[in-house]
Amino acid sequence: MDCKEVRDLVTELWGGELSAETRDHVSKCAGCERFLRDAHLAQAGFRALAEEAVPEASLGFASRLIRRLQEWEEKGARSEFFETVGRRFVYATLALTLALLLSLVLPTSGPVRGVAGADFLGLQSNNQSAQPDVIGGDLGDSHDLIPGRLPD
Amino acid sequence: MARLESEVTREIEWIRSVQKGEGEAFGPLVERYQARIFSIVFHVVRRRDEVEDLAQEIFFKAFRAIRSYNFQSSFATWLSRIAVNHCYDYLRKVRASRLSYYSEMTEDGARELERKAESPQSRGLDHGEKVALRDFVGRLLERAPEDDRIILTLKELQDFSVEEIAELLKLKPSTVKVRLHRARKRMLGDLERWRQEGK
Repeated sequence: MDCKEVRDLVTELWGGELSAETRDHVSKCAGCERFLRDAHLAQAGFRALAEEAVPEASLGFASRLIRRLQEWEEKGARSEFFETVGRRFVYATLALTLALLLSLVLPTSGPVRGVAGADFLGLQSNNQSAQPDVIGGDLGDSHDLIPGRLPD
Repeated sequence: MARLESEVTREIEWIRSVQKGEGEAFGPLVERYQARIFSIVFHVVRRRDEVEDLAQEIFFKAFRAIRSYNFQSSFATWLSRIAVNHCYDYLRKVRASRLSYYSEMTEDGARELERKAESPQSRGLDHGEKVALRDFVGRLLERAPEDDRIILTLKELQDFSVEEIAELLKLKPSTVKVRLHRARKRMLGDLERWRQEGK
């Protein structure tokens, strides 16, 4: 039996009965004897610590805690409300800004407005003027655009 | 037996009420478990003046997390797990400085203490010697890594079984045994180094 085996047994059994072989080794080995004494000292120390009186909760600990929890809950609910409202306000502002930007950008682009834009710039040819302008054009000139109506 | 069952049923009712949003139902749970939580905190942290604040924080955490409690383990185990984890975080934050204590003990005093410690249940120790032993192991624990400190405390001071520790720390019982064994060995090894430093 070597020192490592003995020390393993001491920490594994931790206060339990050691075999005769282990005790024999301990009686001849100063290092292991010291180790066993330390183990006993630690065990006694743990026992003394376990006996120590645990501090008790002060009077009204539970009720104080519940009051604090309720305050925290109310505060939490309030801040959640403001957080939600605030978030919605920010989203609404962003959506409005985006809509405004789009309304400024869209009239100068896209196929529908293209004709009107060209018209405005005076670039439209005669043939093109025959084409209907869905927004401002006369639908009477273009029967094929009226759904469900056959051309003459 | 019937009384125990009715207590368990009542506890389940309280938990379900809190889960539904009735905060007042948490009160009886706090009252039932405050001694247990105070004991865990005191033994792990060993700072008398911090125990109540830490216990309050633990109950706060438990209250906030109670909706996630699914009755798979007992409420005591679930709550103790929160306590142990909270203590672990606390210990990491206020890592105790390395102390030297063994050199403070006179050689004769230490030898006498050792002799008495060898007797079963350490009979014959007077109050002063018990205080010295508490101080001695308390400081040894302070020097130990957080994992060792927690597992040793649960076993030696809280008197939890290996199975209870395994459930609490979500480990296998065999792993708990190995960790306990290593923690004790490290602690005794540390003591040996400590003594040599003190010489």
